[in-house]
Amino acid sequence: MLILVPILLLLVTSLILLLLRLGRPKFKRAWLIAASGTVLSLAGVFLWRIDFPHAYTLPAWQPETIFRYTPSWLADDFSWPYALALTVLSAAVFWTSSVRAETDPLTWSASFLVTAFGLLAVSAANPLTLVLAWTAIDLAELVTMLRSTQGVSQTEGVVVAFAARLAGTFLLIYAALRSAASGVQIDFASLPAEAGLYLLLAAGLRLGILPLHLPYQQETNIRRGFGTVLRLVSAASSLALLARIPSRAVDTPLTPYLLLLIALGGLYAGWMWLRASDELTGRPFWLLGMAALALGASLRANPLGSVAWGTALLLGGGFLFLYSARQRGVLWLAFLSALGVSALPLMPTASGWLSHSPLLAVFIIPYLPIQALMLAGFVRHALHPGETSLESQPSWVKGLYLFGLIHLLLAQVSLGLWGWGGAAALGVWWAALLVLGLTGLLVFMALRFLSRRAAGGSGGRWADILRLNWFFRLLQFLFRLAERISAALTHAVEGEGGILWSLLLLVLLLSLFTAGGR
Amino acid sequence: MNASTLWIFLPILTGALLLFLRNQRWVAFVAGGLSFLLALTAWLLPIETTLALGSYAFKLSSTFEILGRRLILTTNEQPILTLIYGAAAFWFIASPSVDKAHRLAPLGLVQVGVLVAALAVEPFLYAALLIEVAVLLTTPLLLSGRDKPGRGLLRFITFQTLAMPFILFTGWLLRGIEADPGASALIRQAAILLATGFVFLLAVFPFHTWIPLLSEETSPYLTGFVLWVFPTSALLFATGFVDRYAWIRTAPQLPQILSTVGALMVAGGGLMAAFQNNLGRIMGYAVILETGFSLLTLSLLKTQGIDLFFLLFVPRLLALALWALCLDILRQNAASLSLQDVRGLARPWPFASVGLIFAHLSMAGLPALAGFPIRLAILEDLATVSLSVAAWAFIGSVGLLAAAVRTIAILVAAPAELAWEARESWPQRLFIILGGLALFGLGAFPQWVLPLLNRLPAIFEHLGG
Repeated sequence: MLILVPILLLLVTSLILLLLRLGRPKFKRAWLIAASGTVLSLAGVFLWRIDFPHAYTLPAWQPETIFRYTPSWLADDFSWPYALALTVLSAAVFWTSSVRAETDPLTWSASFLVTAFGLLAVSAANPLTLVLAWTAIDLAELVTMLRSTQGVSQTEGVVVAFAARLAGTFLLIYAALRSAASGVQIDFASLPAEAGLYLLLAAGLRLGILPLHLPYQQETNIRRGFGTVLRLVSAASSLALLARIPSRAVDTPLTPYLLLLIALGGLYAGWMWLRASDELTGRPFWLLGMAALALGASLRANPLGSVAWGTALLLGGGFLFLYSARQRGVLWLAFLSALGVSALPLMPTASGWLSHSPLLAVFIIPYLPIQALMLAGFVRHALHPGETSLESQPSWVKGLYLFGLIHLLLAQVSLGLWGWGGAAALGVWWAALLVLGLTGLLVFMALRFLSRRAAGGSGGRWADILRLNWFFRLLQFLFRLAERISAALTHAVEGEGGILWSLLLLVLLLSLFTAGGR
Repeated sequence: MNASTLWIFLPILTGALLLFLRNQRWVAFVAGGLSFLLALTAWLLPIETTLALGSYAFKLSSTFEILGRRLILTTNEQPILTLIYGAAAFWFIASPSVDKAHRLAPLGLVQVGVLVAALAVEPFLYAALLIEVAVLLTTPLLLSGRDKPGRGLLRFITFQTLAMPFILFTGWLLRGIEADPGASALIRQAAILLATGFVFLLAVFPFHTWIPLLSEETSPYLTGFVLWVFPTSALLFATGFVDRYAWIRTAPQLPQILSTVGALMVAGGGLMAAFQNNLGRIMGYAVILETGFSLLTLSLLKTQGIDLFFLLFVPRLLALALWALCLDILRQNAASLSLQDVRGLARPWPFASVGLIFAHLSMAGLPALAGFPIRLAILEDLATVSLSVAAWAFIGSVGLLAAAVRTIAILVAAPAELAWEARESWPQRLFIILGGLALFGLGAFPQWVLPLLNRLPAIFEHLGG
């Protein structure tokens, strides 16, 4: 039951804030309720460690002979780091909101609600629970995004993103069918090999990396605070699945090819992230690049490595996206956060380069430049002047803002030292040093020679190829073709001669049956 | 007192009288209230048991004789009566919010009464005639005095009427089979005739065309009611045949035929829905997909019994009613339901749009909505028998999902200057919110329908045991 404590606290806080906003719009103490919600939910996540690992299951769906799954959640080495990262992120968004003048309780309420859904997803103990949480997050995102976007092209992007996520969800359901066909009820603990690959593809599809797609290329309308929560919670919910895929379930002949394909997508994302005009414009590429590292770890039979990259995506990304008010004196905080993504010994990402499959260890090579690009982009964007100056803020705003950012740093330190069994590791130290060297070179080049890409600019021919636009155009062509065939068929059976066609078909079928019966 | 008087003649008579009442709200209130009371009494009142109310004692007898035929409603039929009248109450009560009560409530009540008679009549084959009476009543239900019947309505009546002689002729052959159970030629002929009859009745390809046509040309709310009533009664009637006749029940080919036809309907319905350019037609194809899923559950009788079949009823009812209601609201405020005409309607009509999308997604089996738990159970059971059938059914669901995504894309594709507002009336909002909550509630807690489900299978003596 402890597992539900932070989730319920977030939901209750969200509900109270919503009711207050609707019933008493002039209520002055909403921030106090929100602050209490963040502190208590954070404490709630630490409560998980009292009885660790532990599971909680809702009353079973009845009749059990038909409904074989029951929603259940698990607090363990895989879910706790994500839960901590999400709760800290939500808290950081609240504490830093003063600097962005985001004081609408409705935004805080939405942020807590989405975080609660995220916690339900990252701690899901079986695929059924995961798809339920995924859907809740997807619907919340759909509604929020549609409310905040303007114009046909932007709403189209939102619907495409929703469709891609649904495709991932349904791929997971198809994995359940494949599993049932081989006589095994799908479960993270007993995943048949043929289902593992589908799960990986489902996560890849939802993250936008398999195949590479970027529905949200312009998101300047989405505010930093809630926008960050929405994006990162959604990513975390998919990353959590990677951690649950057992190593033997991804041991297929396709794995090397997938590793290369993902690396290609990751390299592209890393390059675009480095060249982005600012961290918000580049956010989709940050998600893609870091997700590529997490997927790569999962495919190299290193599920804890995927957790390491996943939490780095949330905490490192969360820091940079919330770091809107800047001042030279606090730049060291950003560099500390970048260290969390560096894979140096004792950092949360230290275990990211481990590979439990000796044959696949060689595949870390194409992933090293991805990490270097991500880190270089991080440093480059951190050195950017930012949206506002921190010096001009009142001291209490400064204090709350820094308090919020420090949450994220402390979470990185905690995860690096105690996040999971085997944390506080040396990792593959030479790989981390190599990446640091490459990062230094890239930062130097970026600052001296590389121009920043204008927001919304097209990526050129290579981007067209890598983003598989040709593939989507082919799909569109096939859809139109099928539409025309369907229209012709409809015209035949629904037109004036439709009844005659139907009767003719009936006679044909009857004669077939009669002949077959003799 | 007789059970048939209460659950057959009373609604028919009330429905006929309501035709003369002008006030729409009163018509809906009386029809909805009566249906609700009939559902409640079906749940609570025992049949063939003497009950005392103070000094007054009465007993509901099960059998009613008329012209040598009998109408029999026993305790076994009571759960299905609860479901039918509960669902009818739902349809009638919401009807004034879309200005359809004056047509739906009286004629719908008569139709439901006639279809309950079809469930109760002995000899069983007379049900075909009663279903035909209900079919004919659809004309005044869907058409007002000055409208000309469209192609969909004409085709509906044609195909449903064509089903009747096949089924009645089967009855004549069945007497021969009862006299000589070993007559294999007779059994084959009867099977072919019966299958042909049900191909018409259940709107199996290529006799499905009336569904999308009707959905396109008439009021979505009224069509929704028709698409709930007829497939449901036809499915119950078909299952009744399987239950009654051992030679059908035990035929080794039956599961394969049902799974093939079911998969064809699910895949065909879902994929065709993906390519439609009219929201009404998409709803029609979704109903074809649902009927296909029911047939697939019947193909699993040996492994799961009849429970899966009945579990589909409540989520389907909720989704279809909400879908039809929202579609009717949109239709009243757009030139037609073609995708071009409904473009951007989500901004002025957000409740109707959201309700429509949730209902659609529920029928497509989206997790967290009412259709999901049962859909997952069916697909998994099918996969254990045949992965290819399960895969086709899955493809059908994905097709319907694709249609939902297209619908969302069109409904929200509004120019930036069009502001968000809510033009729906308060009753419309209320029904949509309640319907949406019910979809989510049942998606998270499918066991809520368990009390009903536990008693429903008893209607079929052999399959329910």
